[in-house]
Amino acid sequence: MKATIERATLLKCLSHVQSVVERRNTIPILSNVLIEASADGALKLMATDLDLQVVDTAAATVDTPGATTVSAHTLFDIARKLPEGSQVQITAADGKMLIVAGRARFNLSTLPRDDFPVIAEGELPTKFELPCATLKQIIDKTRFAISTEETRYYLNGIFLHVAEADGTPVLKAAATDGHRLARVTVPRPEGAEGMPDVIVPRKCVAELRKLLDEVDGTIEVSLSPTKIRFDLGTAILTSKLIDGTFPDYSRVIPTGNDKLLKLDPKSFMQGVDRVATIASEKTRAVKMALERDRITLSVTSPENGTAAEEVPGAYTSTEFEIGFNARYLMDILGQIEGDSVEVHLADAAAPTLIRENDTAPALYVLMPMRV
Amino acid sequence: MSIRRLPEHLVNRIAAGEVVERPASALKELVENAIDAGATRIAIILSDGGLARIAVADDGCGMARDEIALALERHATSKLPDELIEAVETLGFRGEALPSIASVSRMTIESRVRGHDGWQRTVDNGVLAGEGPAALPPGTRIRIEDLFARVPARRKFLRSPRAEYAACVDVVKRLAMARPEIGFTLEHDGRRAMAVQPAAHRAERVAALTDRALIENSVPLDHEREGVRLGGVAGLPTFNRGVADHQYLFVNGRPVRDRLLVGAVRGAYQDMLARDRHPVVALFIDLPGSEVDVNVHPAKTEVRFRDAGMVRGLIVGGLRAALDAAGHRSVRHVSPAALGMWQPGGSAGASSAAGPGAYGRPIIPAPPPPGPAQGSVFDHRADFTAPPMARAEPADAAPPAPGRYPLGVARGQVAATYIVAEAEDGLVLVDQHAAHERLVLERMRRAIAGGGVPAQSLLLPEVVELDEPACDRLEARAAELADFGLELERFGPKAVLVRAMPAMLGSGEAKGLVTDLADELAAYDEALSLKERLDHVAATMACHGSVRAGRILSVAEMNALLREMEVTPHSGQCNHGRPTWVNLDLKDVEKLFGRK
Repeated sequence: MKATIERATLLKCLSHVQSVVERRNTIPILSNVLIEASADGALKLMATDLDLQVVDTAAATVDTPGATTVSAHTLFDIARKLPEGSQVQITAADGKMLIVAGRARFNLSTLPRDDFPVIAEGELPTKFELPCATLKQIIDKTRFAISTEETRYYLNGIFLHVAEADGTPVLKAAATDGHRLARVTVPRPEGAEGMPDVIVPRKCVAELRKLLDEVDGTIEVSLSPTKIRFDLGTAILTSKLIDGTFPDYSRVIPTGNDKLLKLDPKSFMQGVDRVATIASEKTRAVKMALERDRITLSVTSPENGTAAEEVPGAYTSTEFEIGFNARYLMDILGQIEGDSVEVHLADAAAPTLIRENDTAPALYVLMPMRV
Repeated sequence: MSIRRLPEHLVNRIAAGEVVERPASALKELVENAIDAGATRIAIILSDGGLARIAVADDGCGMARDEIALALERHATSKLPDELIEAVETLGFRGEALPSIASVSRMTIESRVRGHDGWQRTVDNGVLAGEGPAALPPGTRIRIEDLFARVPARRKFLRSPRAEYAACVDVVKRLAMARPEIGFTLEHDGRRAMAVQPAAHRAERVAALTDRALIENSVPLDHEREGVRLGGVAGLPTFNRGVADHQYLFVNGRPVRDRLLVGAVRGAYQDMLARDRHPVVALFIDLPGSEVDVNVHPAKTEVRFRDAGMVRGLIVGGLRAALDAAGHRSVRHVSPAALGMWQPGGSAGASSAAGPGAYGRPIIPAPPPPGPAQGSVFDHRADFTAPPMARAEPADAAPPAPGRYPLGVARGQVAATYIVAEAEDGLVLVDQHAAHERLVLERMRRAIAGGGVPAQSLLLPEVVELDEPACDRLEARAAELADFGLELERFGPKAVLVRAMPAMLGSGEAKGLVTDLADELAAYDEALSLKERLDHVAATMACHGSVRAGRILSVAEMNALLREMEVTPHSGQCNHGRPTWVNLDLKDVEKLFGRK
C-alpha cells in the first residue's frame, strides 16, 4: 500500500475514529486503526471496540491500493505533531508502515488487516432521515440522565421508540438513571413507522454527538432490533444496541401534580449554584421552601454552615418544603433554553415534573431528596 | 421389634457421645471439676494429644471413699446443693461427665479429703477394675487412659495427635483465663507446654496466655448496666491480628463461644480496623444466674441470655467507651524487627560494608540503574553561584518544652512524610497523612452523626428479591435503616422494594447493598455494611481532604497536628488499623548506640 494524504485531512479523519479505541485493550488489534487505500483515490479509516465502529473516508492520492492496521493513538499523536500543511506519505509493506512527512520519518509496526474485526451489520430494515439539528437536540437534552451503573445495564443508553401522542405520530427519546428522567418528543420521521424499541448505548451517543458537530443537513439512520447505523456523509457509525428492556417510564411521569411554580431558569440555576457551594460534595442537598410568590433556596452543611437565597418565581399553591440534589437540578435547568420554566410539584416525596411549557419537546422528571 | 429399656452401660456410652467427643472435651470436664472443687493449683499431663493419657491433679476438696463410687454413677453430683438449676454457680452440674468418660476409657480416680486417707478406684470402659487405698496429697488425681479404645467409630473421627493436642491447649487456656487466681501447668509428652502462676489480675493472665505485649497495648474494661457487669481487656485497634482467634468471652467465669461476641466486637471496632483484621479481646460478663441459661448444650459451650440485645449493647458500649478513653493511644513500641533495621552510620557503616548482611542490608551505595541515564544539572555545578548564606529573618517563637504533651513537640520532618517529635520518654514518629486523614474522618463522622443522612428517592424503585426470613429481618429494621437514608418496603413475601438510597452513595448499586445487609442481619444482628459504606465514602473524602505525604509542613503546623491528635478519640490508628504514630523509647535509642 502506498498513498499520500494532506496532514489536515488525515488528522480530521483520525480524530473521528480514534476516540472509539479504548486506551487499554486485551485484544491487541483493537488498539489499531484499519487504513484502507482503494484505487479510486479514497483512504478509509476504521476503528472499533467490538460494540461500536466508526468508518471515515477521505480523498488521497493512492499509488498502490492496499490495507493495514497501526496503533490508532500513536498515529493520531504523530498526525497531530506533523507540521501544518505537510503531505503525509504512507507506505505499508512487510509488517511495517512507513510514514514520511517533510523530513520526519516514522516506521510503525502493524498487525495484519485480516485479523481486524468488522461488525456485521446484517439487515437494517428500518430506515429514516433525521435533520442534524433534531438529532443533536435529542442527544443534548437526554444524555445527562443516562445511568452509569452497570447492574441496570438497560439504563445505560437513550431509549428510542415511536408512539402516538394526541393523535400525531411521534418519535420519543428517553433516558433515566433511576433518580431523574429526561424525555424528548419529536415528530415521527418518514420511514420510522413500525420501528422496534431500541436502547442506544452511552458510548455510541457520545461518539455520535462528536461527529454531529461537523456535519449539517440530514442524517440517515438505519436500524434493526440489535444494531443501529448512522450515516453522516463521509463518516458512518455502526453500533450494537443494548439488549434489554427499558422500563415502562411513562408510568413515572406524574400527571396530577397540581402545584405549579413558574420561574426564570437562569436566575434559579445561578441561585442553586450559589447556595450549593457550601453543600457537602457527596450529597449536594438543596432545600427549597415554597411560599406565595417567594421561593427560598437553602443549604445546611454540618461542616460549613448555612446558605440561603431568595429567587423570584410565581407560586400560588400551599406552602411547603422540598429537597433536591443540586447537581440534578442544575443539569435539568441547564437544558432549558427559554426564559421561563414550569415546575409541577405534588409533595416533598413525589416525583416533580419540569418543562419549559406544555408544548416544549423536552420534559424532565426529578425525584426529591429527603433532607 | 419390641421396645425395651437400654442397659446402663449403653446409656452411658450414648451420653458420652454428647459430652465426650474428643480428648479436649474430656479434659474440659475434668479441669472444670477441679475448679469447682476449689483447687488453687491444677496440673495437667497429656500424652499423645490426650489420646493415650490425660491426667489432672488438683489440690481441691477431694472425695471420700464412698463418694468416689457415687461419682461414677449417672446424675450424681456434689453440685446444685439446693437443686436450683436456674441459678447454677458451678461450672458443672449435670453429673454426667465422669460416668460418660469412664464408659469409654480406662479411668483411675485417686482422691483424699484433708485429714483422711486416700482411696483409689479404677474403671475400665464402664466396668469396675479395682480399688484400694492410695497415697497422695489432699486433692484429687484423675487419670484417663486409652480414650475411645473400644469405640472404634469415635476413634476413626479423631484427628491427628497434634490437632487434638492443640484443642486441649485451647480448652486449658480458656479455663485458665477465666480463673486467674488458680495456677495451671500443662505437660505434653514430658515437655512443659504451659505454666501460669496464680495472678492478681485478669489482664495479666490474659496477656500471659495470648501475647505479653497485650498488657501495654490494651485498655481495661469495667462497665456495668442493669446488674450486668462487663470486665476484661480490649486490645488497641492497632494491636490487631489476621484471624479472630484471640477473642474470648466468659460468662460468669465460664468460657463460651457465642456469635453474639463476633458481631458485637466487630461493631465496636468498626471503622478502626480493616475488614480482614481482628482485635484481641477477652470479655468477662458477670450477671445473675437467673438472667442466663447455661443448660443449653451438654458441653456447655453455649449459653442463652434472657436479654441478648442488652448484653450486646453492653459489650459494644463498654468496648467503645474504653477505646474512646484510650484516645490517641497507638501501639507503644516499634517491633524488634523494625529496630533491627536501623543501621549504624559513620565508620561503623564502613566496617559493615566488609561483611554485608550483618545489619540486613549492605551499606554500599547501589550502582546506578542500567538504561538511559538522566544527566544532572549539578554536573555543571561551577556554573551556579550560591545564594548569599546570611539572611535576617524574624525569630520563631521558642518551641514549648517537651514533656507537657504526650505526643511531644515537633522537631522536624523526614522525607516530607513523617513528623519527628520529641516526647518526654523518647522519640515519636507520626505518619502525617494517616494522622490527618483520621482527624478529618472523625470530624466528618461527627458531622454525619449530627445532621442525619439525606436520602435520594428513586424514580424507579428497585425490587430486590431475597428469601423470606431475610425480608422479615430487613422489614423489622426498616425504621433504623431509614435513619441512614435507606428506605425499604416489603414487596410481596420474597422481595423488598428500595424506595430511597443514601444520597452519599451516589447512584450506587441497591441490590448488592440490600443483600449484604440481609446477610449481616442474619449473622450479627446488626446492619454494619450500610454504616461501613457511608464511612467508606466519608473516608475517601477524608483521604482527599487531608494533608498528603510529601507536603512540607512548618513546625507550627506539625505541632498543631500533634495537639489535635491528642484530643481526638481514635486518632492512634488510621482507618485500616495501622498506627498513625509510633514511639521509639529512649531506652531503645540507647540500645542502638550500645549504651545499654
